Amino acid sequence: MFLAVFSTKGNDEVSPDATLMQQLLRKDVSAFEELYERHSRIVYSLVLRILRQGSTAEEVVQDVFLQLWRNSSRYDTSRPFVPWLLTLARNRALDHLRLKSERQRRREDQTEEFPQIASAAPEYEKALDEGRRAERVRALIGSLPAAQKKAIELAYFEGLSHSEIAAALNEPLGTVKSWIRHGLMRLKEGLQATS
Amino acid sequence: MNSHDQFRELIEAYALGSLDSADRALIEAHLASGCAECAKALEEARWLVSQLAYLAPNAKPSDMLKGRLLQTVRAEAAGPVRQETVRGGIPWWLWLGVAALLLFSVYSAWNEQHLRSTVANLQQQAEAQRIERQKLEEQLRVAKLQAHEAMIWMDPKSVKIMLPPKDPKMPQLEAMWHPELGLCVRGWKVPSPGDNRVLQLWLIPKAGGKPMPSVTFWPDASGTFSAMVENPPDAMSATQALAITEEPIGGSSQPTSAPMWVGGVS
Repeated sequence: MFLAVFSTKGNDEVSPDATLMQQLLRKDVSAFEELYERHSRIVYSLVLRILRQGSTAEEVVQDVFLQLWRNSSRYDTSRPFVPWLLTLARNRALDHLRLKSERQRRREDQTEEFPQIASAAPEYEKALDEGRRAERVRALIGSLPAAQKKAIELAYFEGLSHSEIAAALNEPLGTVKSWIRHGLMRLKEGLQATS
Repeated sequence: MNSHDQFRELIEAYALGSLDSADRALIEAHLASGCAECAKALEEARWLVSQLAYLAPNAKPSDMLKGRLLQTVRAEAAGPVRQETVRGGIPWWLWLGVAALLLFSVYSAWNEQHLRSTVANLQQQAEAQRIERQKLEEQLRVAKLQAHEAMIWMDPKSVKIMLPPKDPKMPQLEAMWHPELGLCVRGWKVPSPGDNRVLQLWLIPKAGGKPMPSVTFWPDASGTFSAMVENPPDAMSATQALAITEEPIGGSSQPTSAPMWVGGVS
């Protein structure tokens, strides 16, 4: 499991990723290569899931990693790195998807050059390493009813709004809102329960 | 339920980016009012939403991508080399010069601050222009693709190929093959493939060889798609039929499921 390279770190420790990002400030190519080795697979997996075309996904992944290289000073090393990187990659991929399908709406305010992400991960992040947490996330979301899972996937991987999801699934808007909120609550409670 | 609770219920969907504009405006106004509890909840929700990335099936980028990135990064790291001038000590008989130098240093410090500010502004402008250029390049690429597809569909040299479904409940698809411009397939009201699956086009050779794998694609939320193959792996005259199957994300080198649509190439 490629995610197993990640290890649990307390909020007061400097993570290996934060150290590597600091080395990027000195234009250290080997630090960049190590960051790529550590995270390229999850970033590519996410972007490919959103865009569904290998060549386009690689263009976006290239763009994401070049942003790390060129703008490493914009990363706040006190913030958790992997969620920040994944949010950056998701925003980039959804921007690409939105341009392609000319869906100009909704996420405009959220597609900053560098995303906002939690200044500190919640306490229960420490309970599992990244690999086991990934498995837990899959199991928790996989245990939801199919339509509820689909609603969350349409929101996260396709960037659809509540009303667009309601139209796509032919379900009432209120039902979709409830599915998404309760699905995320269940994910949170499931991750908390492991702590 | 008080109004604060109503805002609190929107936080996760706001972090996910799925709120419609009216709800989004409400929560943003509430956050702007300085609600510390909701701001903290938003931070945690953003972390939680980022965990959904692990639902994506594991995939590995090509080695070529790493090669391209490292090539770019090494070239940028090499950059222009700055020449440092080593200064010697100041001779005693140049005290007057030293005084002038001190004055000049004070001016330089002020000037440096001014220049730093200017450089920071210029860097911001350059970055904004780079992002804008990327967006324009992408728009141009999409526009070119759409123009290319339109030419294939309108050119009299193109040959139309109908792809009836194996399942009568599914819609019929259509393709247009131009001998020089390529092959385009499109459809409407096509149901989404299953989880982590895509649709993949195959070219069936006349000689009875193995099906040739071609593009993978995915209908949007309304079931519409348009997929183009600029350089089909085989000529039209050597192709007996087109087929479409459902495959794992990323596509397959040979079909792993029964064709859902098949159309003969005349």
